Amino acid sequence: MTLSRRINELLVLAVLDHGPAHGYQIALSVEERTGGTFSFQHGTLYPILHRLEDEGRVCGAWHGEGRRRRTYRLTRTGRAELEAGADELERQFQALLGLLRGNHAAA
Amino acid sequence: MPPREHPLARVERELNVAPRHRLDLIEEVAADVKELRAELERRGLSPAQARRAALQQLVPGGEALERLEVRHAPRPRRWARAANWLDHTVRLGVGAAATLAGAAAFTLAASGSSGAGAANGGAAGTGATAVLVWSQVLLVALLAANLAWGAARLWIHGDLRPAGRRLLWARQGGLIVAAVALGALGAAWEGYQAFTGPGFAAISSLSAWGAVHEVARVAAIGLGTAIFGLFGWLAITPRLISDEETERRIARFFARTSPPVSLETHTPRINNSTGGRQ
Repeated sequence: MTLSRRINELLVLAVLDHGPAHGYQIALSVEERTGGTFSFQHGTLYPILHRLEDEGRVCGAWHGEGRRRRTYRLTRTGRAELEAGADELERQFQALLGLLRGNHAAA
Repeated sequence: MPPREHPLARVERELNVAPRHRLDLIEEVAADVKELRAELERRGLSPAQARRAALQQLVPGGEALERLEVRHAPRPRRWARAANWLDHTVRLGVGAAATLAGAAAFTLAASGSSGAGAANGGAAGTGATAVLVWSQVLLVALLAANLAWGAARLWIHGDLRPAGRRLLWARQGGLIVAAVALGALGAAWEGYQAFTGPGFAAISSLSAWGAVHEVARVAAIGLGTAIFGLFGWLAITPRLISDEETERRIARFFARTSPPVSLETHTPRINNSTGGRQ
Protein backbone atom coordinates (compact mmCIF):
# COMPACT_ATOMS: atom_id res chain seq x y z
CA MET A 1 0.00 0.00 0.00
CA THR A 2 1.36 3.44 -0.88
CA LEU A 3 2.05 5.93 1.88
CA SER A 4 -0.47 8.45 0.55
CA ARG A 5 -3.19 5.81 0.46
CA ARG A 6 -2.32 4.79 3.99
CA ILE A 7 -2.45 8.41 5.13
CA ASN A 8 -5.83 8.94 3.45
CA GLU A 9 -7.25 5.92 5.21
CA LEU A 10 -5.92 7.04 8.56
CA LEU A 11 -7.33 10.53 8.03
CA VAL A 12 -10.79 9.07 7.47
CA LEU A 13 -10.47 6.77 10.47
CA ALA A 14 -9.26 9.67 12.63
CA VAL A 15 -12.27 11.81 11.74
CA LEU A 16 -14.66 8.95 12.41
CA ASP A 17 -13.00 8.36 15.77
CA HIS A 18 -14.83 11.52 16.90
CA GLY A 19 -18.20 10.08 15.98
CA PRO A 20 -20.32 8.98 13.00
CA ALA A 21 -20.29 11.29 10.00
CA HIS A 22 -21.55 11.69 6.47
CA GLY A 23 -19.07 11.65 3.60
CA TYR A 24 -19.10 15.42 3.15
CA GLN A 25 -18.51 15.92 6.89
CA ILE A 26 -15.47 13.68 6.71
CA ALA A 27 -14.10 15.60 3.71
CA LEU A 28 -14.74 18.93 5.39
CA SER A 29 -13.33 17.83 8.70
CA VAL A 30 -10.11 16.47 7.18
CA GLU A 31 -9.53 19.74 5.38
CA GLU A 32 -10.26 21.86 8.44
CA ARG A 33 -8.34 19.83 10.96
CA THR A 34 -5.25 19.63 8.81
CA GLY A 35 -5.40 23.31 7.96
CA GLY A 36 -5.94 22.48 4.32
CA THR A 37 -2.78 20.33 4.06
CA PHE A 38 -4.93 17.33 3.23
CA SER A 39 -8.15 17.44 1.30
CA PHE A 40 -10.17 15.02 -0.76
CA GLN A 41 -10.93 16.30 -4.24
CA HIS A 42 -12.90 14.86 -7.15
CA GLY A 43 -14.67 12.28 -5.06
CA THR A 44 -11.51 10.43 -4.05
CA LEU A 45 -13.04 10.05 -0.61
CA TYR A 46 -15.64 7.51 -1.74
CA PRO A 47 -13.34 4.71 -2.93
CA ILE A 48 -11.52 5.04 0.39
CA LEU A 49 -14.73 4.90 2.41
CA HIS A 50 -16.06 1.96 0.42
CA ARG A 51 -12.81 0.06 0.77
CA LEU A 52 -12.69 0.68 4.52
CA GLU A 53 -16.26 -0.51 4.72
CA ASP A 54 -15.54 -3.66 2.73
CA GLU A 55 -12.65 -4.40 5.04
CA GLY A 56 -14.82 -3.91 8.12
CA ARG A 57 -12.93 -0.91 9.45
CA VAL A 58 -15.88 1.43 9.09
CA CYS A 59 -19.56 0.66 8.98
CA GLY A 60 -21.86 2.52 6.57
CA ALA A 61 -25.61 2.77 6.99
CA TRP A 62 -28.39 4.41 5.01
CA HIS A 63 -30.82 6.74 6.69
CA GLY A 64 -34.03 8.28 5.51
CA GLU A 65 -36.74 7.26 3.09
CA GLY A 66 -36.91 8.57 -0.45
CA ARG A 67 -33.82 10.74 -0.37
CA ARG A 68 -31.36 8.55 1.44
CA ARG A 69 -28.19 9.64 3.19
CA ARG A 70 -25.27 7.54 4.18
CA THR A 71 -23.51 7.72 7.51
CA TYR A 72 -20.25 6.05 8.48
CA ARG A 73 -18.97 5.08 11.88
CA LEU A 74 -15.74 3.57 13.09
CA THR A 75 -15.76 -0.11 14.03
CA ARG A 76 -13.67 -1.71 16.73
CA THR A 77 -11.31 -3.05 14.04
CA GLY A 78 -11.06 0.45 12.61
CA ARG A 79 -10.17 1.94 15.97
CA ALA A 80 -7.44 -0.63 16.51
CA GLU A 81 -6.21 0.04 12.99
CA LEU A 82 -6.12 3.77 13.67
CA GLU A 83 -4.01 3.35 16.80
CA ALA A 84 -1.60 0.95 15.15
CA GLY A 85 -1.47 3.06 11.99
CA ALA A 86 -0.75 6.27 13.90
CA ASP A 87 2.15 4.65 15.74
CA GLU A 88 3.51 3.18 12.54
CA LEU A 89 3.21 6.48 10.71
CA GLU A 90 4.92 8.32 13.53
CA ARG A 91 7.90 5.98 13.33
CA GLN A 92 8.05 6.32 9.56
CA PHE A 93 7.89 10.10 9.64
CA GLN A 94 10.46 10.36 12.41
CA ALA A 95 12.84 8.24 10.38
CA LEU A 96 12.10 10.27 7.27
CA LEU A 97 12.52 13.62 9.00
CA GLY A 98 15.68 12.41 10.70
CA LEU A 99 17.11 11.57 7.31
CA LEU A 100 15.97 14.79 5.68
CA ARG A 101 17.36 16.96 8.46
CA GLY A 102 20.57 15.04 8.72
CA ASN A 103 19.97 13.87 12.30
CA HIS A 104 19.76 10.26 11.37
CA ALA A 105 22.60 8.17 12.75
CA ALA A 106 25.02 7.59 9.93
CA ALA A 107 25.50 3.99 9.08
CA MET B 1 -29.86 26.21 -25.30
CA PRO B 2 -29.59 22.47 -24.56
CA PRO B 3 -30.66 21.42 -21.06
CA ARG B 4 -27.80 21.31 -18.60
CA GLU B 5 -26.64 17.82 -17.73
CA HIS B 6 -27.06 16.64 -14.17
CA PRO B 7 -23.67 16.81 -12.41
CA LEU B 8 -23.86 13.12 -11.59
CA ALA B 9 -25.04 11.96 -15.01
CA ARG B 10 -21.46 11.49 -16.18
CA VAL B 11 -20.69 9.41 -13.08
CA GLU B 12 -23.70 7.22 -13.73
CA ARG B 13 -22.75 6.84 -17.39
CA GLU B 14 -19.06 6.13 -16.93
CA LEU B 15 -19.15 3.91 -13.88
CA ASN B 16 -19.32 0.36 -15.20
CA VAL B 17 -20.71 -1.47 -12.22
CA ALA B 18 -24.05 -3.09 -11.43
CA PRO B 19 -26.97 -0.61 -11.35
CA ARG B 20 -27.50 -1.00 -7.59
CA HIS B 21 -23.94 0.18 -6.93
CA ARG B 22 -24.44 3.08 -9.34
CA LEU B 23 -27.67 4.06 -7.62
CA ASP B 24 -26.10 3.85 -4.17
CA LEU B 25 -23.16 5.97 -5.21
CA ILE B 26 -25.12 8.73 -6.93
CA GLU B 27 -27.56 8.92 -4.03
CA GLU B 28 -24.73 9.12 -1.54
CA VAL B 29 -22.80 11.73 -3.52
CA ALA B 30 -25.92 13.78 -4.27
CA ALA B 31 -26.90 13.95 -0.60
CA ASP B 32 -23.34 14.88 0.38
CA VAL B 33 -23.06 17.53 -2.33
CA LYS B 34 -26.34 19.07 -1.22
CA GLU B 35 -25.26 19.18 2.42
CA LEU B 36 -21.77 20.41 1.68
CA ARG B 37 -23.11 23.15 -0.53
CA ALA B 38 -25.49 24.27 2.21
CA GLU B 39 -22.65 24.18 4.74
CA LEU B 40 -20.36 26.25 2.51
CA GLU B 41 -23.14 28.76 1.92
CA ARG B 42 -23.60 29.03 5.69
CA ARG B 43 -19.90 29.83 5.88
CA GLY B 44 -20.30 32.72 3.52
CA LEU B 45 -19.69 31.37 0.06
CA SER B 46 -22.06 32.46 -2.68
CA PRO B 47 -24.36 29.76 -4.04
CA ALA B 48 -22.29 29.54 -7.21
CA GLN B 49 -19.04 29.23 -5.29
CA ALA B 50 -20.53 26.71 -2.90
CA ARG B 51 -21.89 24.69 -5.79
CA ARG B 52 -18.57 24.67 -7.59
CA ALA B 53 -16.61 23.76 -4.47
CA ALA B 54 -18.99 20.99 -3.43
CA LEU B 55 -19.01 19.45 -6.89
CA GLN B 56 -15.26 19.67 -7.22
CA GLN B 57 -14.70 18.08 -3.87
CA LEU B 58 -17.23 15.28 -4.00
CA VAL B 59 -18.20 14.31 -7.55
CA PRO B 60 -15.93 11.40 -8.51
CA GLY B 61 -13.49 12.13 -11.30
CA GLY B 62 -11.67 9.66 -13.53
CA GLU B 63 -9.32 8.24 -10.90
CA ALA B 64 -12.04 7.87 -8.27
CA LEU B 65 -14.36 6.22 -10.80
CA GLU B 66 -11.66 3.76 -11.75
CA ARG B 67 -11.09 2.85 -8.12
CA LEU B 68 -14.81 2.60 -7.42
CA GLU B 69 -15.18 0.33 -10.42
CA VAL B 70 -12.48 -1.98 -9.06
CA ARG B 71 -14.08 -1.84 -5.62
CA HIS B 72 -17.57 -2.80 -6.79
CA ALA B 73 -16.61 -5.17 -9.57
CA PRO B 74 -17.81 -8.77 -9.31
CA ARG B 75 -15.15 -11.14 -8.05
CA PRO B 76 -14.71 -12.88 -11.47
CA ARG B 77 -13.95 -9.50 -12.99
CA ARG B 78 -11.24 -8.87 -10.42
CA TRP B 79 -9.71 -12.27 -11.18
CA ALA B 80 -9.95 -11.70 -14.92
CA ARG B 81 -8.43 -8.25 -14.55
CA ALA B 82 -5.60 -9.57 -12.39
CA ALA B 83 -4.88 -12.25 -14.98
CA ASN B 84 -5.08 -9.68 -17.81
CA TRP B 85 -7.97 -11.61 -19.37
CA LEU B 86 -10.73 -9.08 -18.87
CA ASP B 87 -10.93 -8.01 -22.51
CA HIS B 88 -11.17 -11.61 -23.66
CA THR B 89 -13.72 -12.94 -21.20
CA VAL B 90 -16.82 -12.21 -23.31
CA ARG B 91 -15.34 -13.66 -26.49
CA LEU B 92 -14.01 -16.70 -24.64
CA GLY B 93 -17.31 -17.29 -22.87
CA VAL B 94 -19.29 -16.94 -26.07
CA GLY B 95 -16.92 -19.23 -27.98
CA ALA B 96 -16.86 -21.88 -25.27
CA ALA B 97 -20.63 -21.88 -24.76
CA ALA B 98 -21.38 -22.01 -28.48
CA THR B 99 -18.90 -24.82 -29.04
CA LEU B 100 -20.11 -26.92 -26.11
CA ALA B 101 -23.82 -26.44 -26.80
CA GLY B 102 -23.33 -26.90 -30.54
CA ALA B 103 -21.33 -30.09 -30.01
CA ALA B 104 -23.95 -31.47 -27.61
CA ALA B 105 -26.78 -30.65 -30.00
CA PHE B 106 -24.81 -32.10 -32.90
CA THR B 107 -24.26 -35.35 -31.03
CA LEU B 108 -27.93 -35.60 -30.12
CA ALA B 109 -29.13 -34.79 -33.63
CA ALA B 110 -26.64 -37.21 -35.18
CA SER B 111 -27.67 -40.07 -32.91
CA GLY B 112 -31.36 -39.25 -33.49
CA SER B 113 -30.85 -39.18 -37.24
CA SER B 114 -29.04 -42.50 -37.29
CA GLY B 115 -31.74 -44.08 -35.11
CA ALA B 116 -34.51 -42.69 -37.24
CA GLY B 117 -32.52 -43.50 -40.34
CA ALA B 118 -32.47 -47.15 -39.39
CA ALA B 119 -36.23 -47.17 -38.90
CA ASN B 120 -37.42 -44.82 -41.55
CA GLY B 121 -34.77 -43.94 -44.05
CA GLY B 122 -33.64 -41.04 -41.82
CA ALA B 123 -34.69 -37.43 -41.63
CA ALA B 124 -31.17 -36.43 -42.45
CA GLY B 125 -31.50 -38.43 -45.59
CA THR B 126 -34.24 -36.20 -47.04
CA GLY B 127 -32.39 -33.04 -48.07
CA ALA B 128 -34.77 -30.27 -46.99
CA THR B 129 -35.54 -31.77 -43.57
CA ALA B 130 -31.88 -32.45 -42.95
CA VAL B 131 -31.11 -28.78 -43.52
CA LEU B 132 -33.88 -27.80 -41.11
CA VAL B 133 -32.72 -30.28 -38.46
CA TRP B 134 -29.05 -29.31 -38.70
CA SER B 135 -29.91 -25.64 -38.64
CA GLN B 136 -31.36 -26.35 -35.18
CA VAL B 137 -27.86 -27.33 -34.09
CA LEU B 138 -26.68 -23.92 -35.25
CA LEU B 139 -29.56 -22.29 -33.37
CA VAL B 140 -28.62 -24.09 -30.15
CA ALA B 141 -25.04 -22.83 -30.55
CA LEU B 142 -26.30 -19.30 -31.21
CA LEU B 143 -28.66 -19.40 -28.22
CA ALA B 144 -25.83 -20.56 -25.97
CA ALA B 145 -23.53 -17.88 -27.39
CA ASN B 146 -26.12 -15.18 -26.77
CA LEU B 147 -26.74 -16.33 -23.20
CA ALA B 148 -23.01 -16.57 -22.54
CA TRP B 149 -22.60 -13.02 -23.87
CA GLY B 150 -25.30 -11.75 -21.49
CA ALA B 151 -24.00 -13.77 -18.55
CA ALA B 152 -20.43 -12.59 -19.10
CA ARG B 153 -21.56 -8.95 -19.27
CA LEU B 154 -23.66 -9.35 -16.12
CA TRP B 155 -21.58 -11.56 -13.88
CA ILE B 156 -18.04 -10.88 -15.04
CA HIS B 157 -18.10 -7.29 -16.23
CA GLY B 158 -20.96 -6.57 -13.81
CA ASP B 159 -22.91 -4.21 -16.02
CA LEU B 160 -25.25 -4.67 -18.96
CA ARG B 161 -26.76 -1.35 -20.01
CA PRO B 162 -30.32 -1.06 -21.45
CA ALA B 163 -29.14 -1.13 -25.08
CA GLY B 164 -27.23 -4.36 -24.48
CA ARG B 165 -30.14 -5.81 -22.52
CA ARG B 166 -32.57 -5.03 -25.34
CA LEU B 167 -30.16 -6.62 -27.81
CA LEU B 168 -29.87 -9.73 -25.63
CA TRP B 169 -33.65 -10.09 -25.35
CA ALA B 170 -34.26 -9.40 -29.04
CA ARG B 171 -31.67 -11.97 -30.13
CA GLN B 172 -32.91 -14.57 -27.66
CA GLY B 173 -36.54 -14.01 -28.67
CA GLY B 174 -35.65 -14.13 -32.36
CA LEU B 175 -33.69 -17.35 -31.99
CA ILE B 176 -36.49 -19.02 -30.01
CA VAL B 177 -39.04 -18.04 -32.63
CA ALA B 178 -36.68 -19.28 -35.35
CA ALA B 179 -36.29 -22.63 -33.54
CA VAL B 180 -40.06 -23.12 -33.28
CA ALA B 181 -40.58 -22.03 -36.89
CA LEU B 182 -37.88 -24.35 -38.22
CA GLY B 183 -39.26 -27.25 -36.16
CA ALA B 184 -42.77 -26.63 -37.48
CA LEU B 185 -41.51 -26.24 -41.02
CA GLY B 186 -39.50 -29.46 -40.81
CA ALA B 187 -42.42 -31.38 -39.33
CA ALA B 188 -44.79 -30.04 -41.98
CA TRP B 189 -42.36 -30.96 -44.73
CA GLU B 190 -41.94 -34.48 -43.33
CA GLY B 191 -45.72 -34.88 -43.09
CA TYR B 192 -46.20 -33.56 -46.59
CA GLN B 193 -43.58 -35.94 -47.97
CA ALA B 194 -45.01 -38.97 -46.17
CA PHE B 195 -48.73 -38.46 -46.54
CA THR B 196 -49.27 -36.66 -49.84
CA GLY B 197 -46.85 -38.50 -52.10
CA PRO B 198 -48.01 -40.83 -54.92
CA GLY B 199 -47.51 -43.95 -52.78
CA PHE B 200 -49.65 -42.63 -49.95
CA ALA B 201 -52.65 -44.93 -50.73
CA ALA B 202 -50.46 -48.00 -50.49
CA ILE B 203 -48.68 -46.98 -47.27
CA SER B 204 -48.72 -49.64 -44.56
CA SER B 205 -49.75 -48.88 -41.01
CA LEU B 206 -46.17 -49.54 -39.88
CA SER B 207 -44.79 -47.05 -42.40
CA ALA B 208 -47.49 -44.55 -41.42
CA TRP B 209 -46.49 -44.88 -37.78
CA GLY B 210 -42.83 -44.38 -38.78
CA ALA B 211 -43.76 -41.24 -40.72
CA VAL B 212 -45.73 -39.86 -37.76
CA HIS B 213 -42.76 -40.62 -35.53
CA GLU B 214 -40.49 -38.71 -37.89
CA VAL B 215 -42.84 -35.71 -38.00
CA ALA B 216 -42.93 -35.68 -34.20
CA ARG B 217 -39.16 -36.02 -33.98
CA VAL B 218 -38.48 -33.05 -36.24
CA ALA B 219 -41.07 -30.96 -34.36
CA ALA B 220 -39.59 -32.04 -31.02
CA ILE B 221 -36.11 -30.93 -32.07
CA GLY B 222 -37.48 -27.45 -32.77
CA LEU B 223 -39.39 -27.42 -29.52
CA GLY B 224 -36.37 -28.70 -27.60
CA THR B 225 -34.21 -25.93 -29.03
CA ALA B 226 -36.85 -23.35 -28.08
CA ILE B 227 -37.10 -24.79 -24.55
CA PHE B 228 -33.32 -24.65 -24.22
CA GLY B 229 -33.48 -20.97 -25.18
CA LEU B 230 -36.37 -20.33 -22.80
CA PHE B 231 -34.62 -21.95 -19.86
CA GLY B 232 -31.54 -19.88 -20.52
CA TRP B 233 -33.73 -16.82 -20.73
CA LEU B 234 -35.42 -17.72 -17.44
CA ALA B 235 -32.04 -18.14 -15.76
CA ILE B 236 -30.88 -14.70 -16.77
CA THR B 237 -34.17 -12.80 -16.54
CA PRO B 238 -34.37 -12.23 -12.74
CA ARG B 239 -31.09 -10.33 -12.81
CA LEU B 240 -32.19 -8.38 -15.90
CA ILE B 241 -35.52 -7.45 -14.28
CA SER B 242 -33.79 -6.40 -11.09
CA ASP B 243 -31.31 -4.27 -13.07
CA GLU B 244 -34.16 -2.68 -15.02
CA GLU B 245 -36.00 -1.83 -11.83
CA THR B 246 -32.86 -0.26 -10.37
CA GLU B 247 -32.31 1.72 -13.55
CA ARG B 248 -35.87 3.00 -13.32
CA ARG B 249 -35.00 4.16 -9.80
CA ILE B 250 -31.90 5.86 -11.19
CA ALA B 251 -34.04 7.61 -13.80
CA ARG B 252 -36.51 8.64 -11.08
CA PHE B 253 -33.61 9.91 -9.01
CA PHE B 254 -32.41 12.16 -11.82
CA ALA B 255 -35.94 13.34 -12.54
CA ARG B 256 -36.59 14.07 -8.87
CA THR B 257 -33.29 15.61 -7.86
CA SER B 258 -32.41 17.60 -10.93
CA PRO B 259 -33.17 21.04 -9.48
CA PRO B 260 -31.54 20.65 -6.04
CA VAL B 261 -28.62 18.47 -6.99
CA SER B 262 -27.73 20.35 -10.12
CA LEU B 263 -27.23 23.12 -7.59
CA GLU B 264 -28.36 25.87 -9.87
CA THR B 265 -28.09 29.31 -8.35
CA HIS B 266 -31.81 30.00 -8.31
CA THR B 267 -32.13 28.72 -4.71
CA PRO B 268 -32.72 31.73 -2.48
CA ARG B 269 -29.81 32.61 -0.27
CA ILE B 270 -30.87 32.54 3.33
CA ASN B 271 -27.74 32.92 5.35
CA ASN B 272 -25.00 34.51 3.36
CA SER B 273 -23.40 37.09 5.58
CA THR B 274 -20.60 38.15 3.26
CA GLY B 275 -22.74 38.61 0.15
CA GLY B 276 -21.53 40.06 -3.09
CA ARG B 277 -19.18 37.16 -3.82
CA GLN B 278 -21.16 35.82 -6.70
